Amino acid sequence: MLAIVLGTMGSCKKDLLDITSNTQVPEDKMWTTDNYTDLGVNGVYQALRFGYATGGTNNRELYQYDRLSNTLMPRGGDPLLNATANTSSGIFVDVWKELYESVHRANDAIYGISNISPSTPEKKARLLAEVKFLRAFYYYRLNQLYKGVPLYDAPINYNEATKPRNTEKEVWDFIIKDLSDCIGETNLPTKFPAGSKEFGRITKSAAYALRGKVYMYLQDWDKAIADFQAVKDAGHQLFPDYKTLFTAVNEKSDEMIFSIQNIALDNYGSTMQFYFGSRSAFGSNWDSYLVSPDFVDLYENKDGSKFNWDDIIPGYNDMAPAKREIYFIRDNVQQVAQANNKPAKYTDLVDPKRGLDFGLYLQNGNEARLKKAFENRDPRLSANVILPYSTFVGMNGTSDQTFTSRWPHIEQLNNVFDLRTDIESQYFYLPRKFVYEGGKPPIPSRVAGDIDYPVIRYADVLLLWAEALNEKGLTGPAIDKVNEVRARAKVGLLNSSAATTVSDKADLTSRIRNERRREFFGEGVIYFDELRWKSWKDQVFGGNAGNKQPWGAIVDKYTYLGDQLYTWPIPELERQRNTSLTQNTGW
Amino acid sequence: MTLFAVGVANAQQKVSVTGQIKDSQGAPLSGVTIREKGGTLSTSTNGSGTYSLSVSPNATLVISYVGYQNQEIALNGRNVVNVTMDGTSSVIDEVVVVGYGKQKKEKLLGSVSTIDAKQIENRPVTNVSTALSGAAAGVQVKQSTGRPGSDGATIRVRGIGTMNNAEALVVIDGIVGTMDAVNPNDIETISVLKDASSASIYGTRAANGVILITTKKGKANQKTQLAYSGILSKTKPMGTPEFVSDYVRHMELMNEGTFNLGKPAKYAESSIEQWRKANADPNGVLAPSGLPNNVAYPNTDWTDWIYNSSWLQSHNISATGGSESTNYMISGRILDNPGIMKNTGAKKYELRTNLSTKIGDRLTIGTNTFASTEDRKKANVDNLYNFLRQSTPGVYPMYDGKFGGAVAAEESVQLNNLMQYLYEPQGMDKVSNFNSTIFANVKIIKGLTFETKFNYLTRFREQTGSSIPVDKYNFATGAIVFPAGVAANLTLSQSYENLRTLTFDNVLRYETTIGKHNIGALLGHNEFQTKWYIFSASKRGVIDPTISNISTANEMNSIDGNEYETSMRSFFGRVNYDFDGKYLVEFNLRRDASSKFGKDKQVGYFPSVGLGWLLSKESFMKGLEPYVQNVKLRGSWGKLGNDRNNGDPNSENYFPALAFYGNVGYSYGGAQVSGLERSKFGNRLLAWEESENKEVGLEFSTFKSKAYVEVNYYNKLTSGILVPEQLPLTTGNTSAPIVNSAAMRNSGIELNLTWKDKIGEVSYNIGGNFAYNKSRVTKLKGQLLRGWNDLNGTNTYSTNIGQVSNAVGTNQRNLEGHLYKEFYVRERYRGDGSYYSSDGSVNPNGGPRDGMIRTEADYKWAEDMKTAGYSFSPVNTLGKEQLYYGDFLYADLNGDKIYGNENDLDFTGTSDIPKYIYGFNLGFSYKGFDLQMLWSGEGKLQYYWNDEGYSNNIVRDGNGISKRVADDHYFYDPANPSDSRTNITGSYARLKYNGETINNVANNYYLYDADFIKLRNLQIGYTFNNKLTERLHVRNLRVYFSGENLLMFTKFPGADPEIGAGAKYPTMKQYAFGLNFGF
Repeated sequence: MLAIVLGTMGSCKKDLLDITSNTQVPEDKMWTTDNYTDLGVNGVYQALRFGYATGGTNNRELYQYDRLSNTLMPRGGDPLLNATANTSSGIFVDVWKELYESVHRANDAIYGISNISPSTPEKKARLLAEVKFLRAFYYYRLNQLYKGVPLYDAPINYNEATKPRNTEKEVWDFIIKDLSDCIGETNLPTKFPAGSKEFGRITKSAAYALRGKVYMYLQDWDKAIADFQAVKDAGHQLFPDYKTLFTAVNEKSDEMIFSIQNIALDNYGSTMQFYFGSRSAFGSNWDSYLVSPDFVDLYENKDGSKFNWDDIIPGYNDMAPAKREIYFIRDNVQQVAQANNKPAKYTDLVDPKRGLDFGLYLQNGNEARLKKAFENRDPRLSANVILPYSTFVGMNGTSDQTFTSRWPHIEQLNNVFDLRTDIESQYFYLPRKFVYEGGKPPIPSRVAGDIDYPVIRYADVLLLWAEALNEKGLTGPAIDKVNEVRARAKVGLLNSSAATTVSDKADLTSRIRNERRREFFGEGVIYFDELRWKSWKDQVFGGNAGNKQPWGAIVDKYTYLGDQLYTWPIPELERQRNTSLTQNTGW
Repeated sequence: MTLFAVGVANAQQKVSVTGQIKDSQGAPLSGVTIREKGGTLSTSTNGSGTYSLSVSPNATLVISYVGYQNQEIALNGRNVVNVTMDGTSSVIDEVVVVGYGKQKKEKLLGSVSTIDAKQIENRPVTNVSTALSGAAAGVQVKQSTGRPGSDGATIRVRGIGTMNNAEALVVIDGIVGTMDAVNPNDIETISVLKDASSASIYGTRAANGVILITTKKGKANQKTQLAYSGILSKTKPMGTPEFVSDYVRHMELMNEGTFNLGKPAKYAESSIEQWRKANADPNGVLAPSGLPNNVAYPNTDWTDWIYNSSWLQSHNISATGGSESTNYMISGRILDNPGIMKNTGAKKYELRTNLSTKIGDRLTIGTNTFASTEDRKKANVDNLYNFLRQSTPGVYPMYDGKFGGAVAAEESVQLNNLMQYLYEPQGMDKVSNFNSTIFANVKIIKGLTFETKFNYLTRFREQTGSSIPVDKYNFATGAIVFPAGVAANLTLSQSYENLRTLTFDNVLRYETTIGKHNIGALLGHNEFQTKWYIFSASKRGVIDPTISNISTANEMNSIDGNEYETSMRSFFGRVNYDFDGKYLVEFNLRRDASSKFGKDKQVGYFPSVGLGWLLSKESFMKGLEPYVQNVKLRGSWGKLGNDRNNGDPNSENYFPALAFYGNVGYSYGGAQVSGLERSKFGNRLLAWEESENKEVGLEFSTFKSKAYVEVNYYNKLTSGILVPEQLPLTTGNTSAPIVNSAAMRNSGIELNLTWKDKIGEVSYNIGGNFAYNKSRVTKLKGQLLRGWNDLNGTNTYSTNIGQVSNAVGTNQRNLEGHLYKEFYVRERYRGDGSYYSSDGSVNPNGGPRDGMIRTEADYKWAEDMKTAGYSFSPVNTLGKEQLYYGDFLYADLNGDKIYGNENDLDFTGTSDIPKYIYGFNLGFSYKGFDLQMLWSGEGKLQYYWNDEGYSNNIVRDGNGISKRVADDHYFYDPANPSDSRTNITGSYARLKYNGETINNVANNYYLYDADFIKLRNLQIGYTFNNKLTERLHVRNLRVYFSGENLLMFTKFPGADPEIGAGAKYPTMKQYAFGLNFGF
């Protein structure tokens, strides 16, 4: 009888144990259709967005690497800047893991497209080229940081990540091969016309540009120059205006060669608003990255001559940095503090322990005197940085509100709005580039900016081109390339005056480097350059190094750990799990 | 068990007899069977212990009750017969509910702890699970939060048997359920099945123990009885963190933090002075706003504001009764627990109907149906506890309906006001359960019965979310310092979550006795299917914060969903046999097939065998009879399974064998596209996790059965534990495959003692249970190899810790041969204070005795160590902003001359899982008075407690400072040794402003013993005697006081070791007054 009952039950529930996921795609379905092929390739592109974090910066988005240069400064300490980095530091572990994840996605796509996908041969050829570029880009980043990493060129199972390291040269060669395949693929477009809907996908010009960059590492100047020439021949050119280049309307211009795509949607947009923006900007942001005063001082006068504080305030350079604060204080500070019921804002300044000389303070002219320092400068400075006593159109509720960066921050009263940061007890130069203005910018949140992230743009190619030419001793042509960039920036051209006259190759080298520092603010370029030039220690740790207020007083001191920092360590954990990996020297 | 009244009574010869049956402590006994000797009619007592039966005038009543000796009483013309049952009857006569049946305790071969309804009754507990603490040997009950609605405890049987979900299986009236879906008042008994022979009938889900809950049923021929039981309980938080509430002191401590790092003072002297002046005259008015100083210049003690004691109420009413063919139990309860924090309460309504009816002689059908719904308040408790430490005393919480904000000029206008998290969130959170079983029992032939059950269980949660944001005021100026969020940015959300389970269960039973051979057999089949899904949506841009229906918001924000499904089909059987009640044997076998595994690995077999020998029935034991009675030796062996892997329930984990691609999104040219990437590796060979259990037990009574002793030894090896493989980083972000790799062994001893006796009119009982459990990881990824090797001519230190061990919890690791989740930390340096060797060279072992740079000699030693080539980690530079006075030094365990680097971390031999747990209870009764006490405790466990704001030396902008740290930290300034703040004996490191790297790396300073013992319940009651109750026309009347968590003894310095080290919603201390009466 039981058997009968069970038999009946069994038959009506035959499929009881046959359950498949309704939320994920099982492995055996992947790559089997044209649609899956597209989705898989999109996944390889999506790896470009690694590091993106909505709850607080994790220092891994490409632009966030600038904190390690002397252009941006991290708000708190950083293990690479305060000598606490070790082989187990999170940044080394996470970046390694993410870049290899990206590589495996590409390998999986290459396998899936080649062996499974039913898409047309033309489409497959193009997608393979795109994916190879991305694989090359991910290995490029690994080789920039860790140098000589293990090469995986096919999908692996979970227990197969056991390879030893390849040499740095082998990795560069592997990258060059992928990029050359890409360049040789007839189905891959050379360049998209400005405004194209396909923007963001890989083109041959991107492959040329990246290969040129690789040749810079190999110091193969001729090949680099040839690739940069190919980029130019593809039709890339500078956008006429520096400031508005970094807006959503111009992100598909001819200057952009390869950009990470952002749209105004949570998890698809940029995070610069959140980490560059202040509390007064839309979204009420965190000021996670601040601007180094050394970097501000690096911007020349408009005519191309060097900026010198002593020209504005005689004796400034010789003063102790902390004492220079007096020149940054707002007009009528005592009265304003009193009127707003914050007398302490004034009493703190005159506290003898602070040591400020109020004899140097101009009750009604302090702001005007300081502003002179920023008036006649390279226009890129005010485009990139919120300078003292300059204004910023931020948010008040949902309406626009003009704020002024003042020190000390006191209060919003009588429609005088001081720019509010997340660190009111200190004063800093703040990033302006990539920060949306106004109370209702066209983005839903502070982590969903719609401006594409420029990874490689034509100005980058021009300055590398200049560098390669200069290395070959071709000073004249090199100067021409630099001047293209300076002309667009509307700053005095090289060799246009005594101050801009290039004396020799070394002088030009230094000018090109500074040009790159000024041009690529917040674009995740310069830290890698400093490592490549071996100039990182001097730039970041030279002299009075630290996270500084505009007058040069140090908030958090930087400490140099040692030359091993030029090459990131293989994460300790990884060496334990894959014992064939050797460690970089010094770690 | 139930005897049905059969036969036809001859009415005219009968008299009616009534009476009340009580136990030796005077408590009425319900369900006692009263039968006329030689007659056919029987009845049973109701909830107040009374009965009424028609018998012949000179009858003798036979009164029988499970666990008590039968009594025979001649009427002798009386028609009222009150009886006190002999309470000294031995435990051994009890009948115990076991899997798919009942068994006399005497014949039980497995290890089963029973918990009587009495231990749960009349306690103001909000959840059955919390009432089990200390009630049974080897059953650990731990409540991790006191938040109403989420206050259920986790229950661990015999330690933690797996690295996965180690929750015991809960079975309510034969159906798998959850502990929060049963009304404590409905419970008749609870059995905890601990070993293989008792639990293996539940096969794959039984590896972590099974808790069987049986609810009360009506009895045949029982007059309807209404019973009411009410509790009114004053609740208070059990333990709360303490912060510095004096803002002047707070500011000075912050400034000490900046001073220590050579940074400018955080607070200007002028601000501190402002508070000093205001504090001198708290009711005066100095502020422009005109508000009194204690509001305008606050010194807020946040814990005073966020907690408030309240009154919890529980009202339960039940009706029990039965006719000849039908019996029923209907009950309802309202539980209103306002919680001990504002806007966090929960109100719960529960209903139950247990009904069964006989159709003809052979068939019984019925239902057990339970429904409940709970309304939870929406305060954002998670945020509140996240921000509890991120609050300063310089903000006044609420004044005149307005919320306070930052006042001091140095403070960010962002400063948190904790009241926001309690008051702002609005909306609904409703959890409902509906659980209904219909069953049918058929008697096929004598001894052979068939039982079938079908159960439908659904649990759903409906939520809406909105918030009414508030402005924050500076009460000194009267101005708004931080405006409320604007309507355009506010979101409205709504979600619906549903878990649905269908169970179909069939059992065929056969029992027979042939001579001295007693034979029982059982054959069963079970299948179930569970499906969960969630749907949620949110929109942005509200019309007005008080208009909260999602349709009114104007901008789409998100729509989301998720689901999983799992099913299982099982067959099982049991044969038990005994010869003359002396030699006992039992076999169980279960075959389970689960949808979670790959096609070839779905099936698992789980056998068990139990053997028992009642020694006291042997003739050679007769001589010992006066000393020991009822001696039983038993043993069992068996295998149990587990198919849950960590993170269950979670859709991905429902297919642990498969590899998947997951969704990632990107865009081209401004257009959003979907993408896929390999999200998880698969493992098609994945099979069941298996736990092999061995057990021996000895039971006996002594002192004329007044004392009962049970001792068990068990050894449980869980192998093939489903764990994610530990992958190299190079494999990327793809989730690791689940593999059957790890193994753990739990072995231990359990001891149970009970004693019941009477001294004059005072009866009393004492019970105690104790369990020691040793838990080891026996297999993981191989042996730890670390040490120095010659590598190309250089002596190099290497370790494979990252390969063979995985990090879990807080500074804990798993490693073969070690405790599960053993702590893995640095050791504080310990020197002998000699500093230098006799030759004048620095002595590496001569540094500060307790591993902190306290004196100038210590500092000098550290400098000399560096000169001599030693270094300190994580910071090796000496100086104010670096390693300095008041910083910790760590031991160099691996001898690489670096003190405190990664290679100096080591296992401590301790974990946060107790090595032993115990409980004991005491009961006294005298006439109408009764007193009961239940204690429980845990021993040999540690917590790592280094939470910023509670137990470390960082002082941070916008954060509070714990009193503990404020009172006991190091301070020394070599430039000014006479500074009034100097405290070179302070225990915590010197205060550091806005973060630090030296003193808060994993180290053993922050390991605290967390042993504790709690008085779980104290009950004092009085039962009114019959004369009074009769006059009041009630059946029984008892009033009582019942206190929960009244006392706790612990050395742990945090709030409450039961909920863990961190700050969480505290458990409640309760003072309850209760009333029971019945009609």
